Amino acid sequence: MAILWALVAPVLGCLLVYRFSGLKNAHPRWAAWLLVFGAGTCAGVGLASCLFFLMHWAVPGVRVLPMIVEIALLAFAGYEVYRIRTQVRETESTPNVFLLPLAGAAILGLIGATAVMSIVWDANPEGNWDAWSIWNLRARMFTSDGALAQRAWSPVLTGHPEYPLLTSGYIARSWNYAQTPLDNVASAVPIVTSYLFFAALLAMASGGVAALRSRALGLLFGLALLASPNLLAEVPAQYADVPLASFFLGAVVCWLLDEPVLAGVLASLAAWTKDEGLFFLAAFAVFALVFRRARWPRWIAGAIPTTAIVLLIKFGLARGSPSLVGGSSLSKVFAFGRSMQVMAGFVSGFAGMMVDWYHPLLPAIVLAVALRFQNKWKRDVLFPGGISLAMLAGYLGVYLAASNDLSWQLQTSMNRLLVQIWPLLLLTIFMTLRAPESMVTLIEPKQKPVSKRKK
Amino acid sequence: MPAASIKVPLAVKAGVTLAALVSLLGLTEYARFESAYQRQNADPYKVTAQFSRFADVRAAVPATATLGYLSDQPLGGTAGDALFNSAQYVLAPRLLQKDAAENLVLGNFTRQADFAAVGAQSGLHIERNFGNGVVLFRRDGR
Repeated sequence: MAILWALVAPVLGCLLVYRFSGLKNAHPRWAAWLLVFGAGTCAGVGLASCLFFLMHWAVPGVRVLPMIVEIALLAFAGYEVYRIRTQVRETESTPNVFLLPLAGAAILGLIGATAVMSIVWDANPEGNWDAWSIWNLRARMFTSDGALAQRAWSPVLTGHPEYPLLTSGYIARSWNYAQTPLDNVASAVPIVTSYLFFAALLAMASGGVAALRSRALGLLFGLALLASPNLLAEVPAQYADVPLASFFLGAVVCWLLDEPVLAGVLASLAAWTKDEGLFFLAAFAVFALVFRRARWPRWIAGAIPTTAIVLLIKFGLARGSPSLVGGSSLSKVFAFGRSMQVMAGFVSGFAGMMVDWYHPLLPAIVLAVALRFQNKWKRDVLFPGGISLAMLAGYLGVYLAASNDLSWQLQTSMNRLLVQIWPLLLLTIFMTLRAPESMVTLIEPKQKPVSKRKK
Repeated sequence: MPAASIKVPLAVKAGVTLAALVSLLGLTEYARFESAYQRQNADPYKVTAQFSRFADVRAAVPATATLGYLSDQPLGGTAGDALFNSAQYVLAPRLLQKDAAENLVLGNFTRQADFAAVGAQSGLHIERNFGNGVVLFRRDGR
């Protein structure tokens, strides 16, 4: 039953995105469906998490209130989609020689990746260390009735009460609605939640590049992500890094597809997922202002509601909790030895993405050699590239200034930071490549000359 | 009339095919590595086992309780922190504090010992011994 509830919010999100965004009009049609699924899943989970938190915090005595609001929203969104159902038109698609083989490879890859994850789910149903000591621990607190739920963000909790609550809140919501008893292993909802975000990430990556650049590149991008070992390893870990990566990529793709409100919603939900999301939100705001000033007000309108909730928990409810940068010092930033250590950490983290002979950058390198890069640099290449670099610079700064033991910090977090921005980095590369379809030539059959009959 | 044919440059065809193949081979390589790793490292901190270990504590201690903590594994080390965090996870929404200053204190031990003597050092007596290294202490005089 809890799994069913975990699937209700993505359906709600998909209906809302389908109804109120232009993603449904993207070409080709399959890319539009992938985009609606990806952005809808992320937005739906985020919306449900925010609703559950707000109503649990503001009206803790009325247990069923967020559930009623969600069901009402679902009915409204369903009706709205039904009402506009005839307005979407099918468009004629051009034949694509790469489509079927690449789609087959992508489906094969997804089945393979899911099979590997099922081995990990079976061996480690409660996920890795931070899952049961932070994220899912807070979900177990949050799902309780009344004032007990507030222990999820109480400073007396040992598991980082100041962290944002998107994944914990969503898992708690699904348990709470289904009345799941927690006196035994209840790992199905955390597993489903992490897999939903992984699927959404793949959908937005493939659909986004297919709509923006080329269908073949879209499918190849999805395949490259499916073959990124560190990303795959983080899904069954049940941490918040894969959800964060989904929000990063989703916000950028929506922005590039001229959907600033949805981009703002997803960027702010990144801030409701992890602290790094706050930095992403700030970097996005700056880049959005620089690149497309006219879209900025709509982006802000999408970002404000969730940002307000993030600020409420950061500076209101969990105030006084220690944070990573709390004891930081500016003098550390300029220490040469420390800088070298952090740079070495980045290099070894990047090299550490390898499994045996395979590095996840290899498919992109092969494509760069075969297809080469497009001549002109466009805004839609500079935008994801600039944000990726800003994020890397931000991570570098936090490492330099952090009060914790630097070696331990690098060892325990570098891999996950790379997982967060890996899809954005790959997106930047794929956006610069020439489309395979642009190099295909169509050969018209030779016409037989019409013979002149003698009279 | 015969249909138009499509000509794809060899470099493009080879590049796209190779990129897809490399991706699938990379995924296979990862699958081989991960399945071998998981065979040897299933639930390394025995989190799942804590549910049955603490089942009676969950039944005996109200959900609103805040418990102190006492262990033979020092906090700050991997083993000690794993024991503490997995106990906190299973016992939630009950709160565990990292000292023995509360009225009720959870004892979480990896070896058999004289638990009464261990508790007495912190001014505690045994309220209930659940077995398997799990003991509930109460502060003396309360």
